[in-house]
This record gives sequence, C-alpha cells and structure tokens, in this order.
Amino acid sequence: MARFLLLRLGLIVVTLLVISFAVFGVTEVLPGDVATQILGQGATPENVAVVRERLGLDDPWPMRYASWVGGVVRGDLGESLVQRLPITEMVGGRLVNSLILASFTFFVAMPVAVAVGIWAGVHRNSFGDRLASMFSLVAISLPEFVTGVVLIIVFSTTLGWLPSSSLVEPGTNPLTRPQILVLPALTLTGVMFAYVMRMTRANVIEVLETNYVRSAILKGLPMRQVIWRHVVPNAMLPTISVITLNIGWLLGGLIIVENVFSYPGIGRMLLTSIQTRDMPLLQALALLIAATYAVSNLFADLAYTWLNPRIRFA
Amino acid sequence: MSIASFLSPATRESVAPPAEGVPLLEVRDLSVTFYTPRGTVRAVRHASFTVRRGEVLGLVGESGCGKSTVAFATLAYLPGTAEVGGSILFEGRDLMTMPAGELRDLRGSRIAMVYQDPGSALNPTMRVGEQVEEVLHTHLGLSGQAAEERAASLFESVGLPNPARVGRRFPHELSGGQQQRVVIAMALACEPDLLLMDEPTTGLDVTTEATILDLVAELKDRVNAGIVFVSHNLGVIARVADRVAVMYAGQIIEEAPVRELFAGPSHPYTAGLLSCVPAPVNETGLMPQLRNIPGSVYPASEPNVDACLFADRCPMVQDICRESAPPEIAANAEGHPVRCFFPERVDSDTWGEPTPRPRKPRSTNEAPLLQVDGLHQYYGTDQKKYIFFGPPSRRPVRANVDVDFAIQPGRTLGIVGESGSGKSTAARSIAGLERRTAGEVLLDGEPLAAGVGDRPRGQQSKVRMVFQNPAASLNPRLPIGSVLVRSIRKSRGIGKAEARGIAVELLESVGLDGGYMDRRPRELSGGQQQRVALAAAFAADPELIIADEAVSALDVSVQAQVLILIAERQRREGTAFMFITHDLGVVRYISDDILVLYGGHVVETGPAEAVLRPPWSPYTEALLSAAPVPDPDAEPSRIRLEGAVPTLRQPFAGCPFAGRCPRNLGDLCNNTPPPMRVDSADPRHQILCHIPLEELAADQRAAMRGRSAVGETPRGR
Ligand SMILES: Nc1ncnc2c1ncn2[C@@H]1O[C@H](COP(=O)(O)OP(=O)(O)O)[C@@H](O)[C@H]1O
Ligand code: SF4
Ligand code: SF4
Ligand SMILES: [Mg+2]
Repeated sequence: MARFLLLRLGLIVVTLLVISFAVFGVTEVLPGDVATQILGQGATPENVAVVRERLGLDDPWPMRYASWVGGVVRGDLGESLVQRLPITEMVGGRLVNSLILASFTFFVAMPVAVAVGIWAGVHRNSFGDRLASMFSLVAISLPEFVTGVVLIIVFSTTLGWLPSSSLVEPGTNPLTRPQILVLPALTLTGVMFAYVMRMTRANVIEVLETNYVRSAILKGLPMRQVIWRHVVPNAMLPTISVITLNIGWLLGGLIIVENVFSYPGIGRMLLTSIQTRDMPLLQALALLIAATYAVSNLFADLAYTWLNPRIRFA
Repeated sequence: MSIASFLSPATRESVAPPAEGVPLLEVRDLSVTFYTPRGTVRAVRHASFTVRRGEVLGLVGESGCGKSTVAFATLAYLPGTAEVGGSILFEGRDLMTMPAGELRDLRGSRIAMVYQDPGSALNPTMRVGEQVEEVLHTHLGLSGQAAEERAASLFESVGLPNPARVGRRFPHELSGGQQQRVVIAMALACEPDLLLMDEPTTGLDVTTEATILDLVAELKDRVNAGIVFVSHNLGVIARVADRVAVMYAGQIIEEAPVRELFAGPSHPYTAGLLSCVPAPVNETGLMPQLRNIPGSVYPASEPNVDACLFADRCPMVQDICRESAPPEIAANAEGHPVRCFFPERVDSDTWGEPTPRPRKPRSTNEAPLLQVDGLHQYYGTDQKKYIFFGPPSRRPVRANVDVDFAIQPGRTLGIVGESGSGKSTAARSIAGLERRTAGEVLLDGEPLAAGVGDRPRGQQSKVRMVFQNPAASLNPRLPIGSVLVRSIRKSRGIGKAEARGIAVELLESVGLDGGYMDRRPRELSGGQQQRVALAAAFAADPELIIADEAVSALDVSVQAQVLILIAERQRREGTAFMFITHDLGVVRYISDDILVLYGGHVVETGPAEAVLRPPWSPYTEALLSAAPVPDPDAEPSRIRLEGAVPTLRQPFAGCPFAGRCPRNLGDLCNNTPPPMRVDSADPRHQILCHIPLEELAADQRAAMRGRSAVGETPRGR
C-alpha cells in the first residue's frame, strides 16, 4: 500500500512536470510580446527593453523555465501582468469559491445519482426507471451552456426566484448567499449526474445477473441484504472508474458554468487571463487545474483499491 | 459448542413433521418452458421423480437436457418468463405456489444448493467467512463470535485447511477445490434436508474432483439429507449416487438403482452414455477405441411431438417410435421405469463396434515436425521492494522451465497436468502468442520466431490454435460460414461456391448441419462453438494444430464424436496435434506420445503406451488414480492429492512435486533435484524421480492388483 502511494505520488510529480513544461511552451510560442502588452502599443523601444530586462524576458528559455518552476515549488506563482499582484494571493479566494461549487456538485449530486442508479437498476423497467432514463438522456444530450441558459430563463428571468448572475461581494464567500449557488450547481450537475446514474444502473443490472447474486438469493437472504451486501459493492467498482473519468469533465464544466453565471472562481479567472493575455496567471491556473485533476484521480483510485480486494492484496 | 446446540428448538420444531410416507421431494409431471425473444425453449418436458431422506439421486444426461433447470426449479428459482407445469412437492407442499416469505425461509436453510463453477458462485468482494456467517445469521440468528465459531467448524467439516483462519480469505485467494468446499460449507450451514448439487465437480481438476467426491460420499453418511446430484459424467455418478435418473431432452428416460443401471441399462441412450465413458486404466494403459452417440440432443426449441424424442439418434429405431411416444413408464424386466418401446432389446451390441483409433506407425528416421529444446517461459519481471531498490518483493512466475519435446508429422502429443502446471503456457509459446523467455523451437527444421508476428506467412499458416474458450478463437460479429469460407479460400485459393461446399462439409464433420453457416457464434452453445472453432482450424489446412482443452467442455458423447473425427482427419490429412487436456480418458485415446507437466517442469515423457503403463512417475500415478471409474462397486483408489499446483515464483529446491507427492522420500526429494530416469524397456520413456524405475513399477503393479481384486468385478457387458 505504502509502495502504491509512493509510486502514485511520484507519478503525479512527473505528470505535473510534463504539464508545466507544456504550459510554459505554449505560452512561449503564442504570438505577441509581453513587454509591448504591458506598456501598450505606443511604447518606445527603450521602455520595452527596460521592461524586458526587468522581467528577465531576454534570458534563454531554460533559465526562465527553471526560475518559474523554482518559484512554483516555493509557493510563489509569480505576478499578474495586468493586476500587478502576486498570483498566489489572487488565486486563493477564487480557488475556494470554485471548490465550494465543485464540492457541492460532487458530494451532493454524486450520491444522489448513485442512489437513483441503484434504485433504477433494481426496479428495472418500472415506471420510475423509465422516467429516470428519459431525464438522463435529455441531460446528457444538452451541453452545460444550454442547460445554464435555459435554467436562467426559467428560474431567473421568468420566475424571478433565483439570481441570474452569481457575483460575490468582495470579502465575502458564496456561502453567505447560498441561493447564488443553486443554478450553477444544477447546471454543473446535469450531465455528470446523468452519466453516473446510467452507469450505476447498468452495473447494478449486470451484477444482479451474476452467479454470486443468485447464490445470495438462494441462501434465503432478505432482498435488502442481497442488494446492499452483494449487489451494490460490486456494482460500485466500475462506477467509481466512471466518476474518476468524470472529474476532468467536472473541471471543464466548471469553467463554462462559472462564465455563464459570472461566478468568481478559477474558471472565470482563466478566461479573463486569456482575454487579457496575462501569461503568468494563465500558466499558474493551468498548472493548478492539472494538479487538482491528478490529486482527485489519486483519491478515486484509492477508493477503488479499497473496495476491490483483488487489487488491495495483490 | 456442539453443532446440534446451534439449532435453536424454535428453528426445527416449528416445522410440522411431514406425514408418514410423504417423500422428501416429489417432482410430479414437471414442465418448464422459457419464453425468450428468440423463441420458446422447452427445458423440461413432463419429468417426474422422487427423492427420499438419506439417499442420493443422480441426475445424468448431456448438457441442455434440462438437469440444471430441474435443480433450480426445486428452489423455485426460475426467471419470470418461465412457465411451470406440474408440481414440485417438498414434504408434501408445493413450492410453486408457496408465498415468497416462506420460500425464503426454506432456501439456504432446509433446501440448499451447490453450484458448478464455485469461483463465480462466491461474491468476489466479500470474505468467505462472512458469506457463510450471513446464512447463519439469517436463518439461525447467530452473529458475532458464535457465528464465527460455527463457520469455522463448518470449514473444518468440509476439510478446509486452517478452518479458523480461512474465513478471512477472499474467494480469489482460494483454489478451485477450496472454493467449492466453501460453497459446500455454506450449503451445509443450517443442516439442510435437501441438498442440490449441480455439477459440483465439473471444471475442476481430476485430482480436485476426486477429493470433492470423497467429501460428498462422506457427507452422504453424515448428514441425513436427501441429495440430488447432477452430473453429465457417469463415472462421477457411479461414485456417489444410490439411484440414477437419466434425462434426455427434458424427459426422464430411465430411472434405476445405480448398480442395476450400470449392470443392465434398458434404454439405448443410457447404454450409449455408458459406452462413451473411458474404462479404468489397466496394465495395458491405452484406450485404443471409443464409442460415440451420433448427432446431438433433441433441441429444446422443438415442440413436444408424439414420438420418441431420441428416435433420430437411436440405433434401434422402428417405425412405431416415430409415430407415437413411448409410454411414460414402461417397466423393463427388472421392474424399473424406462421410456422406450423395446427395453428388452438393449444389449452390448446396441451401439455396434467401437471405432478403433487409426494410428500411424512410428517411423524412427522421420524428422520431427516440431522440435522444442529448453523452452523457458517466465511471466512478469523481478519487482524490488522500493520500486528500484531493495530485496526482490516479487519474482517472475516460472510457468515453463526447461521443457523439451518433439512432435512427428501426423502424430499427436498429449500434454497432461493439473491446472497451473504450465500446459497452456507451452501451447501459447509454441503458437507465438507469448514470447518465450528462452529456448529453441524448430518447425520443419526451420527456427520458429518467438512472436507470431515475426514469423513468415508460410510458417504462420502451418500452425493453428484452438482455445479452451471457443469465444477466443471466433469473431463474434461474423457468421460462421464466412469465417470458414474465408480461411478455406485463403489456404487453397479456390472459388467462393466451392469453398462454401467445403465449409458445409467441415461443419458436418464436426456434427453441425449446414444451417449453422449463417449463424453467429453467440447464438450457439459452448459445445457447438467449440466444434465450429475446430472446423475453423481445419479450414486453413495447417500441419500442426495446438488444441488447448479443446474438448473439455463437451459432453462425453459429443467429445467422442469430435475425438473420432480428429483421429480420422489426422489419418487422412496427416495433421500433427499438440493436444492439451486434463482429461486422462481423452489422452489415452488420442495420444501417440505423452508429456506430463507439473509445476512448469516435465515430470514424465514418452510414447503413450509406455507412459500409460507402470512405471509411472508418482504424479502420473496420482492423476491416473484420481479419474472417476464408471463402476458403482469400484473401490476408490487411495491416492489423493490435496491442495493445488504451487505458485511458481521460486525455483524448486528439490523435486517440483515434492510438496504433494505421496511417495516423497523426505530430505532427498525436498532438497535435491531428481534425475530424469530412462526406462530400460523403451529409452524414449523418461521419468523425473529419485525412486529407481524398477522399484516404482513393482510398487505400482502391486497396488493395481490389490485394487482390482476388490474393484474391477467383471461387468455384465
Ligand atoms: N433462463 C433461461 N432462458 C431460456 N432458456 C433457458 C434458460 N435456462 C435454461 N434454458 C435452456 O433450457 C434447456 C435446458 O438447460 P439446462 O437445464 O441448463 O440443461 P442441463 O443442466 O442439462 O445442461 C437448454 O436449451 C437451455 O439453453
Ligand atoms: S422408443 Fe424407439 S427410438 Fe426411442 S429409444 Fe426406444 S427404440 Fe429408440
Ligand atoms: S522425486 Fe521424490 S517427490 Fe519427486 S516424484 Fe519422486 S518420490 Fe515424489
Ligand atoms: Mg447444467
């Protein structure tokens, strides 16, 4: 186990190194000169040269890469070109906001999706199952920005129940006004909920047909026990893999949803940094998102390993 | 605590004692019909039988005859699409009309089941102890320590090693035999009154099968339950059953006490099944001939007709058999029920002469087709404790160690050994599916590359493989016909129409009619798929066919058909075979030479007639004596191998077989690798053992005579 963890952590470090390299490389080849960007089009060549000097832009790229990575390791993500603030400070609050939104989706929607999936699988072809299947089909076929806009039109513009934009007063966090979370969370949940629900349902149906479930039934166990001790643990194994795969999706969805609802999270910041060509910020955010993805994957794998004795004791 | 004290009075006495004379189980005129999207399946057609307390009813027949359906119906466990006619009375009460709650109380407690394929019958994510304890909890209200202790005593009673600790294991950590013991313990947990065993030893190694049968034979005396023992293997039935019911196409066609049935079958089908079973090994060893029942089981998709359902395969068929159904019960001369118009005509000539195996005489100067020298196949690599450093935490599996053999053109090498002994590995290495670790392989004198992809096209088409699992060799999306036609055209360069003709012939030669050309593999039963896989291998006209357990899943009757066909084809086309099987009956018929593997090592090799006669290596001896004997009076042999082939991560210090060898000499065997001894009577016959061959031979002959004096009473026919 310790060995497994060590291996995986090592792997994460390697992954992040590769990603940092890629991120650095991409921003490097993007057109446009950073110094000109900062000073505006009318800047004199002398001024540009001074800024270049100050930012170390004339150093060879390996040196710039090394100093950037070195900074990241020390917790210094650099300085935003636009706002002239340390990125570490800027990102902190935004990251919390995003995590609140994502956790809401992940820890509320996933369990519900799994529960509905189990119910639908056990009551296959019942009215409720068909209903759930129908809804999930609709949810899967609609991209987030469509669901988001539809929800805004219905609940905000028409009914006026919920705010259409999720702006947060500076110095507060979204939890002080939880109603602003509802629409973004619902939007974010849609597709993932449907995927996880359908996957759970399919796995439950498959496991119900195995010989060991037949044995459990023929042992005379109450149905409740057959479902919870024999069907669910085995059906959860592949479901967890799907949830893992969906973490990436969730992060992607987050970016879209934050922008649709003007929610002040990492995703919105990412878009802004692209629009304003704030390269250091963009690099830092990309790296941060990759790290989040890698770490949550590790957790999902740990859960899978814990549930599956074949791997646990191998 | 004694076992009896676990059973609270409430559990037992709440059940009203059945009226005198009511049998434990009475199945009356049972019909089971499945309505599936692909049509109606008549799995059971008007079957009746009874089981009394304390007796074992053997239920035997080819696969698809409805045996398992009968067993599951007895637990009222059938899919919703099934229609059940007739009644199943357990102590006089009809299970089919019983309320769900009462049924649940019976299941697992008074009626319990043991399944084929124990690996899949156990929940993979749950410790086996818990799986037994939950039965105890549900039916007897035991939990915690009491349940754990009771589970341990159950594990002990089914002969599991280390009963107090084995409950902490997960199913995949146990061998197949141990898994089946757990399932049996689970079934015995509440001391059931009726025990249903559906092919409990099918798919296990012969050695394991023998130990499980010992357990069943012992249970029979220990528990006062009625047992229904389902098997397609008459040798197995002979060992455990008191009475036998023979099923064919959903009907019971003969029922008799076991001795009566084996001594004088009265239905041609029973006689046929009996003649398909290999006779026990005697001093001559070989089994030069084989009988078969042509055709296949009357399909369950066919309607009930007013005729004998066996008519199409029956050698005694008369006009009347096709015009009316033989009466439900027409007692034969001895008075036991049989469903045939002419039971008195059944005798040893019913099935005519057995088919002798055509053998190619051995030529001493012919170059071998395949020559294998020093084959090593290791799986995986060294793993260190700290990823790159430290002591090795895991070594590669040494699946084949220094294996040598040769196959001459047109001859068959039989490879035997328990599962895990390295048979399939050898096959996969030769076929190039696995890149060998070391060793030299020559085909027709040309070196054969390790990977199949590196072999020239000509060489590739000379070697074909047929797998244990037929699905592995067939493309699930293509109709069978197009697979065959394609491969025939490729190897012979002929037109489509002509190739189609040959394909139909090939299918017919494996017992399937031309109608199968347009079917897809998944529409066929396992046995049919395997026959198609063989036909597909033949289609390419190879020089060597590697068959890995290719007939193991087939019924004896069909197996015999396929083996006869293989032998015949071999004589005509001169194809060589590398035939891997754990079934010694098959090996004794099909082999010209035999290679016995254990723990990845060759422990015996030589011409079949020499290998099958004493001296045997102690391992070969154990394998041979584990094979079930189709004779109810046969004394079970004494040699039993417990456990399984060890994992092969460490080289053996001494003899590979030392850990399980009944003849182990102690220190010498455990710590010194034995020599490969050469039989003076035939130098090609070699045995890996410390014991001199003369000594082995003398011992083994004496043991065999001792046994036959008690056992092999001359049979009536
Ligand atoms: N659930 C089912 N649905 C449809 N057909 C079935 C089902 N179970 C068994 N059958 C069919 O019933 C027939 C008898 O099968 P089975 O009872 O398993 O025979 P056996 O145990 O003798 O091999 C076969 O044709 C089989 O395919
Ligand atoms: S009734 Fe006729 S066809 Fe049927 S088994 Fe008897 S002899 Fe054969
Ligand atoms: S060498 Fe010893 S352990 Fe090995 S087979 Fe011979 S007697 Fe048995
Ligand atoms: Mg069966």
